[in-house]
Amino acid sequence: MSTETASTTHEDRGFLDRLLASPFLSDLLSNRLAILGLSLILLITLMGVLTRLAVFVGVLDFGTILDTQFAQPRKHPPCGNPTITGWLGSVGSCQHPFGTDAQRRDVFLRTMYGAWLALKYGTVTVAASTVLGVGLGTLAAYYGGWLDNVVMRTMDVLLSFPSLLLALAVVAIFGTGLWKAVIALTLVYTPRFARVVRGAALKVLEDEYVDATVALGARDWRVIVRHVLPNSLAPITVQSTLNFGLAVIDLAALSFLGFGATAGTPSWGWMLTKGVENGLINGLWWMSFFPGLFLALTVLGFNLLGDGMRDALDPRMQDAVD
Amino acid sequence: MISTRYVIKRLVLLIPVLFGVATLVFSILHLSPGNPATVIATQQADAAEIQRIEERLGLDDPIWVQYVRFMVEVVQFDLGESWVHNKGEPVTDILRWKFPITLQLAVLGQIAGIVFGIPIGIISAVKQDTITDHISRIGALTGISVPIFWSGPLIILLFAVHLDWFPTNGLLSNGPLPKITGVLLIDSIIKGDIVMFVDAAWHLFLPSMVIGIYSMALISRMMRSSMLEVVRQDYIRTARAKGQGEKITLLKHGLRNALIPVVTVIGIQFGSLLGGAVLTETVFNIRGIGMLLVDAITDGDYPVVQGIVLLFAVVFTMVNLFVDLTYTYLDPRIEQ
Repeated sequence: MSTETASTTHEDRGFLDRLLASPFLSDLLSNRLAILGLSLILLITLMGVLTRLAVFVGVLDFGTILDTQFAQPRKHPPCGNPTITGWLGSVGSCQHPFGTDAQRRDVFLRTMYGAWLALKYGTVTVAASTVLGVGLGTLAAYYGGWLDNVVMRTMDVLLSFPSLLLALAVVAIFGTGLWKAVIALTLVYTPRFARVVRGAALKVLEDEYVDATVALGARDWRVIVRHVLPNSLAPITVQSTLNFGLAVIDLAALSFLGFGATAGTPSWGWMLTKGVENGLINGLWWMSFFPGLFLALTVLGFNLLGDGMRDALDPRMQDAVD
Repeated sequence: MISTRYVIKRLVLLIPVLFGVATLVFSILHLSPGNPATVIATQQADAAEIQRIEERLGLDDPIWVQYVRFMVEVVQFDLGESWVHNKGEPVTDILRWKFPITLQLAVLGQIAGIVFGIPIGIISAVKQDTITDHISRIGALTGISVPIFWSGPLIILLFAVHLDWFPTNGLLSNGPLPKITGVLLIDSIIKGDIVMFVDAAWHLFLPSMVIGIYSMALISRMMRSSMLEVVRQDYIRTARAKGQGEKITLLKHGLRNALIPVVTVIGIQFGSLLGGAVLTETVFNIRGIGMLLVDAITDGDYPVVQGIVLLFAVVFTMVNLFVDLTYTYLDPRIEQ
């Protein structure tokens, strides 16, 4: 038992050392766009977590975000300035920097809390589809045969629907709600992970050291956990990062269409729908502008970081830079 | 050249996938909780009435009988009748007139994306790591990251509300849509109605642009990286070594080969454009298949939901197959 633990920590350190020594991190860190993406993600995360924390410790009343009716007139423009230039001049010194919505709620607080919701549901979606996809992909690659066929043909069927459409079909079955949207999107993303992981795993399994391990009597799970998974980690990470942006945008899209977040929830998608419904045409731009802006910035962050990771991992791209 | 055997092989491989798709579509109705008959029945309907509806729809049959019947009907292009629309209008009739609207929008957006995306990608690659390249790359990534349901409303606000250059929604200023082919721009030409053509183009401009921006972003990214990869190939070096002008080298030898993966992206993306039409149509209030789907899910009109999902999946699969075959035609090495 103790030797097992010791060897595990040794292995972990070895992996971390290898990661630090590999050109991957230095490539990634020297990519300005990837750093920009990472900064955006950190900023949005900080925003969401701090707001959630403020609600948790009681500095901020959740009711303030959900349904406090401020004394300001309905649909109060940001800082009382309906024009963008006027708003820029007075932002930071006023009570409602992003204005208030049709229910006199503060758009700034709701947008901040929306960051928490986007990250929370996005994380669950990506985590669930990563775990499912990695599991299915690895099993299909390792055992091959009929298992491979059944799993991958099922994935093919799921991949033959445009992604948003499959999500809507699942919503039609299970009904409306943010958690149900998470289930729908997990089903949509899992096949992509399964495909990527199966490909990566097949490549690893071809290597001779795997044959050597098997010849030494290693069991299936050991080969999978100690060799196949660590060596497929790179493509899995890239896929997860790029998919995070997609998950955030698709969750908002389902809410926008009325199948995700329910009335009152300060999710970006729902705020966008309400903002468009309640007064975009009348020039009340702030209700939908701010939630949409932060949504776009979040997605941009994940896309920039994911792109940078892919470039850093793809040796051919480095040739292109030289 | 591409062998007939390969095409047939690919078509045969499609059968189990389509079978799976149809099965999944069948399960939409049967996995959903609640009794479908209550959707059709009026509020005051009693148990006997609901039972009558169940019998009429065959919902009281064993599940495998319903499954076989569904499959047989689907093969005959019979998608059942809507439970809500016009009291039992055949789903295929509804789709017949709604699909061209969505298709037209997707095609126009795709054209805009190709026309702008390919040159931008080429310029970006040729001027790699210059300020032009950086701007177009960041622009492309922004284009992909900005959701259509945010950029759409803002574009409406600016161009349709503030500047009043374009209409805010719909397909025509007045009058019903002509039903000849279902594609508005073509129908107005057939009718020889130039006013209607201009009006339709005027209405279609903003939604096509919104789709086009997204499509342009994807295409220019792919074009750039593909071009960068091609210019490092030996045959480009050979062309340069024999003293050929840089422009001819890049356009004749480079572009031709670099376009191959771009064709794939264009094809694959066309499928997702159709899926994304749900959002564009909702934003611009265009009553195509996307809005129909949203309404059908809200109303619990399952035959329509099933019909749309099946139609999109089949179109998506066919487009992907066509793209694969084109790819093989352009690069016969794939076939092995």
